[in-house]
Amino acid sequence: MAAGGNNRSRLLLVLLLVTSLFLITLDLRGVSITKNSRTATQSFLAPIQRGVSDLFSPVGNFFSDVKNFGKTKAELKDLKKENAKLREKVIFNKDTLGELTKLKSVLDLAGRGNYKVVSARVIGKGSASTFSQTITIDAGSNDGIKKDMTVIGEFGLVGVVKSATSTSAIVLLMNDPTFRIGVRIARSQSIGVLMGEGDNIYTLQLLDPSGSIEKDDVLLSLGSDNNKPFVPGVPVGYVKSVKNTSATLTQEAIVGSYSNLGSLGVVSVIISSANGGPKDALIPKPMPTPTTTIYVTQPPEPATSTPSATPTSTTTPQKAKN
Amino acid sequence: MNWSRAGFSALIFLFFFIVQESAVSKINFPISGFSIYLCAVLGLMSLEDRFGAIALGFIGGFILDLSPSSDSPFGKWAFILTIVGYLFSRNRESIGDFTERPLAFVLFVTAGATVTLTIFLLGGVILGENNGAFLVNIRTIFGNAIWTLLFSSILLPGLIKLRRFTLTSRERI
Repeated sequence: MAAGGNNRSRLLLVLLLVTSLFLITLDLRGVSITKNSRTATQSFLAPIQRGVSDLFSPVGNFFSDVKNFGKTKAELKDLKKENAKLREKVIFNKDTLGELTKLKSVLDLAGRGNYKVVSARVIGKGSASTFSQTITIDAGSNDGIKKDMTVIGEFGLVGVVKSATSTSAIVLLMNDPTFRIGVRIARSQSIGVLMGEGDNIYTLQLLDPSGSIEKDDVLLSLGSDNNKPFVPGVPVGYVKSVKNTSATLTQEAIVGSYSNLGSLGVVSVIISSANGGPKDALIPKPMPTPTTTIYVTQPPEPATSTPSATPTSTTTPQKAKN
Repeated sequence: MNWSRAGFSALIFLFFFIVQESAVSKINFPISGFSIYLCAVLGLMSLEDRFGAIALGFIGGFILDLSPSSDSPFGKWAFILTIVGYLFSRNRESIGDFTERPLAFVLFVTAGATVTLTIFLLGGVILGENNGAFLVNIRTIFGNAIWTLLFSSILLPGLIKLRRFTLTSRERI
């Protein structure tokens, strides 16, 4: 009996492994049944994700909030008393305000680049077990979104549309290991390929061996044929460090992204771009450094000619001497 | 394992798949994410005999292949979880009944999740996929193992109870 059971199990194992390999072969050959099944799942999941997104938005960052809880415990206690009645409203307002701020920034970037965009909320993230970095947005082909469209955030590139249903779309984030984009260094105009590494670190490989690359160089997207998948001129990132390896033919650099892919609330999908792109118009401007001006004034000499402890007038040192 | 149990298990998997895709994935876990789906699949698989574990592995993998966020070829998860189902059933026979040894059960599922993700990565290498930075992958597997260890102790007793509904009176004895 046991031998019979083992044979039955072995037969099932072989049968199911062959079926799996058959499915893999079909998928790698581009058979639409397997692709459509994922699109159908996405259509099914999108309304649920949308509903859960509203409920889950305060819970999403639970762990990071807990980490900082000890620091502000006393402060929180006072605030809790004060805001008990208004807490629900405040959370809602904060959420809306955060989304509005991000949306404003995204639209500002899109406006400067003369891009025609469709903005959408992020309603889902890719599962950790799939090792791929994706997000789900609540706009789809009904809004004009198609596969291979550039997606931008408030500070620059976010990713590319991987697939779209009528009401939702999956965006492949730029930190996905399979993500590749042609980039141009704004300063030297050297071109290269930027690769995602699965984290917030990216690798830039210059195509030209004699190309110049320096720390803090700004990278812009090079653009693709008919603007698909990438429109030109979108800020992608900045050079964090240049790799000094004599073993490679071309230069490599570690790149940081302008977009914080961990906290995406609102993104925009570029539907169309002005001819020729925005050139270098979207290069992020350096933040002005605040400077403090200090005026030194000498206190007036009192009648007794003893110096005063506090400055009382704004007379200049020259005048005081006189 | 009969058809009704396979169908019921598939429904449980589907439920956890929806929970994973719509809720759990949205939580920013420290270190790395947690797959409640893998935890549930491996938990149910480890309670089955060899035939059942292989069948459930395939069903669980097939549902995971439907994940819209997945970049791997369709059928890869079915292939991997079928193999894991077989490996599970082989090793499970030497451990005995899990329902009476909760700690062994939790550790077995955690180890299973780690092995599954490792095989998934190795499968990707064989298929020529780009898996990204090595350290990031290690962190993902390590993070998932920690969260599975923590959450499976809460999840698995419920799964055992759920499974009891699908057993025939003869199987319960």
